[in-house]
Amino acid sequence: MIGRIARKEFTEMTRDGRFRAAAAVVAILLTASLAMGWKRHRDVDAERHAAALATRRQWLEQGTKNPHSAAHYGTYAFKPKTPLSMVDPGVDAYTGVAVWLEAHKQNEFRYRPAQDATAVARFGELSAAATLQLLLPLLIVLLAFPAFAGERDLGTLRQLLSLGVRPRDLAAGKAAGVVAALGLLLVPATAAGVLALALATGAGPLAAEVPRMAAMGLGYLLYYGAFVGIAVAVSAWAGTARTALLVLLAFWIANALIVPRIAVDVAKRLHPTPSALAFGQAVDRELKKGVDGHDPNDPGLAALKARVMREYGVDRMEELKIDFAGVTLQASEDHGNRVFDEHYGALWDAFARQDDVQRAAALASPLMAVRSLSMAAAGTEPDQHRDFAAAAEDYRRGMIRVMNEDIAEHGKGPDAEYLAGDDVWAKVPDFSYERPPFAGVAGRRWPDLAALAGWCAGAALLATAAVARVRAF
Amino acid sequence: MLLRIMRHDWRCLAADRSAWALVALLGAFVGYGVSNGSAWVRFQRDTLATAAQDESQRLADLRRDAEDVDPKAEPAFAWLDPRTPGVVAGTRGQRFATAPPGPLAALDVGQADLYPFYFKMTNRTKQTFIAGDEIENPSNLLAGRFDLGFVVVQLFPLLILGLSYNLLSAEREQGTLAMTLAQPVRLRTLALGKVLARAALVLTLALALSIGGGLLAGVDLRRPDVLARLGLWAATVAGYGAFWFALALAVNALGRPSSTNAVVLAACWIALVVVAPALLNVAVTSLHPVPSRVELIGAIRDASAEASAEGSHLLARYYEDHPELAPASSAPVPADFLVKLQAVQKSVDETIEPVMARYDEQLARQQALVDRWRFLSPAVTAQEALNDVSGTSLARHKHFLAQVDAFHKEWQDFFIPRIMRRERFAPADYDAIPKFRFREQPLVEVAPRAGAALIGLAAPAVALGLAGLAALRRYPITG
Repeated sequence: MIGRIARKEFTEMTRDGRFRAAAAVVAILLTASLAMGWKRHRDVDAERHAAALATRRQWLEQGTKNPHSAAHYGTYAFKPKTPLSMVDPGVDAYTGVAVWLEAHKQNEFRYRPAQDATAVARFGELSAAATLQLLLPLLIVLLAFPAFAGERDLGTLRQLLSLGVRPRDLAAGKAAGVVAALGLLLVPATAAGVLALALATGAGPLAAEVPRMAAMGLGYLLYYGAFVGIAVAVSAWAGTARTALLVLLAFWIANALIVPRIAVDVAKRLHPTPSALAFGQAVDRELKKGVDGHDPNDPGLAALKARVMREYGVDRMEELKIDFAGVTLQASEDHGNRVFDEHYGALWDAFARQDDVQRAAALASPLMAVRSLSMAAAGTEPDQHRDFAAAAEDYRRGMIRVMNEDIAEHGKGPDAEYLAGDDVWAKVPDFSYERPPFAGVAGRRWPDLAALAGWCAGAALLATAAVARVRAF
Repeated sequence: MLLRIMRHDWRCLAADRSAWALVALLGAFVGYGVSNGSAWVRFQRDTLATAAQDESQRLADLRRDAEDVDPKAEPAFAWLDPRTPGVVAGTRGQRFATAPPGPLAALDVGQADLYPFYFKMTNRTKQTFIAGDEIENPSNLLAGRFDLGFVVVQLFPLLILGLSYNLLSAEREQGTLAMTLAQPVRLRTLALGKVLARAALVLTLALALSIGGGLLAGVDLRRPDVLARLGLWAATVAGYGAFWFALALAVNALGRPSSTNAVVLAACWIALVVVAPALLNVAVTSLHPVPSRVELIGAIRDASAEASAEGSHLLARYYEDHPELAPASSAPVPADFLVKLQAVQKSVDETIEPVMARYDEQLARQQALVDRWRFLSPAVTAQEALNDVSGTSLARHKHFLAQVDAFHKEWQDFFIPRIMRRERFAPADYDAIPKFRFREQPLVEVAPRAGAALIGLAAPAVALGLAGLAALRRYPITG
């Protein structure tokens, strides 16, 4: 019986011009956004790859200079674009694309792509994720709001129930019909997405993306399940189709527009972050407490001298075989690193807590959960940006250490200034970055999946309850 | 007659609980939006106060140290010497170039949370100070702020549509339309009266709440042009509201049932507020793509590596170009490094300037395209106008950047000759260090754009309204 109802619903919807038009619009937007995502991924990937090669070349071919000058010249780390970012660009437009790795200083990422865009971009980027998160639920609302309420308005609900159809079967059939109609849209779109991904990455890397895609897909399915359930429940509960539609639209508006923005401001108030200026001042204050590698009269220096002399078993600095400048520089780096760990750690923790508040808003808006899960699977969430930033910072520290150790080892020579060459630059390995394995990401993001499952189950319960009490008129 | 219909409709609305709920929601949203906007403005003001305090403290320390220095003794550390112009210009005497929050920034944060609003001026190249950003969680930027601009552009139309999607269809469905029209009243008058009754109510509320909220949030009426800007803000909100009322009227005039009206209007909202801006963005970014900043980094590094390698050569050439600055052989040489650095910086600036300009040019082209095509979506028109009027637009940021550029030049003109002459700072010089004074974007720059937006909102509103009234002639009164 359920199958028959589903088939009737499906046929009716696919013959309905309104569904066809809406589905066509959504399909066009999905295809266009996938195509754009694919192109952007291809361009950006090639460009970042070339830039990484170029910056490595600049480092290796910087010529003869003191290793500390080389450390000041430094290098850049460019954030790679993940394959699934073509589906969900996440926060990519709002995090910088590159970070300068130089001596003494942990820098912020620079050049947020959103800064090179007009205000129109703030309405929302056209991405597959935006279409899937915002427009498809709206399509579900439009498809499902008349499920019961429409029949009631027409007076056919009475007839149907008098035939002995159980309301539960009717609801299941109607829901299945909506799902089938959605499948008509989503199955080809998913196939197109996978194809675009395969074109962009090749088959091998594509296989590595499968668990991420699966998590993303599951998240969206649960999200749509929740919407279908809620739509059927409201349709059964509401007196008229008009009421059903208005209630569902109100839910969509709260879900898509109001809760996400309220969550941002609430999170900011609960976990404030410092201004860039205050942050910089705090870091500077702490840095000044350490050994200043550039200042020979620094008070912390005497202790350091004593320690180094003890370590090398000499009584006078002149007897040291190593260049003390390298030791001082590294000591100031070590102090700086502690300061950066503390301050950047606190800042990122505050961001993470803000994000947690936003995710907690999933209790009021399933969008928050599906967005978080989708970004996490795509590798475009803030946490994975932090992971990359941490990797770049580790690389910076290693690089500066190699420079300082080289100064300590070779700096003490007959010449006034120690100059090093290409062989020293080559001692620093090339920067390479591995994304965190998906298992770890999934381990962190399971609450999103749980929230979506909760919404889906809750919606199903709600639908069952509402349908059990359905009135024919 | 019109007035009588309006009065009657107000009474009906007053008796309707859902109308009250919508109005209460509007009030809550406006209040929350204004409180968020003013929190942002407070944050900016506090940051600028910190900057001002930092600057005055640093300069006071600098002067004190300069007075303490024994004029005959050679300084222990040239790079800390308070009398060395390069030290003053690049570290110890740096002044901030700051832009206060826009005149109505508490009402509309706009693009202001994306762009830096203060720069620490230096004698070094522009790219050393221009790329600093305010700290912000990227997920917050992605979601956007709940400010009054958001309430007006995205939620306000929904409230209007919620109040008027069943303007006539409800009366027809209840069977009261035929009865009403049995009285000596024309359908057009009736429809117009119902629209005006709602519009008067909603617009009055929206304007009173937003302007009142703005005043509470600390919009400073004494600042020049603020009244005119508030007027433009109100006109934009009214024009935008009028558009959505006219749309509701036109859709109602098609004579469909209430639920169809609701679907059609929701689809219009999605198309105009969500889809059209996204497509417009796709169009402008595809037609005038801004080159990747990754290229800029490569160019800067190549230029600075080259310039550093040629440092001494560049310095020699600099003195060839500026013989008047070349020090006499007996002059003191406080910090040779800083002098060389300055020559290198100048060369880098000259190489990078055209590269940096390309980004601005492309973005300007995008903005020009947006300016032309914004009229396709009243939401874009309204948002751009609100950003303009509030002083939180890209144009206002560019206005600030142009002043920063001029200040950078002034700064360099003041310091570089002193650096290159290898002079020492005299006590009078500390007073003469250039100061930045922000000049607000003048109203004459803002008003034409906002005026065009008003026409862009009013024209379709009038057209839709007239079309709707005309279509009422064929309106099915019963059935």
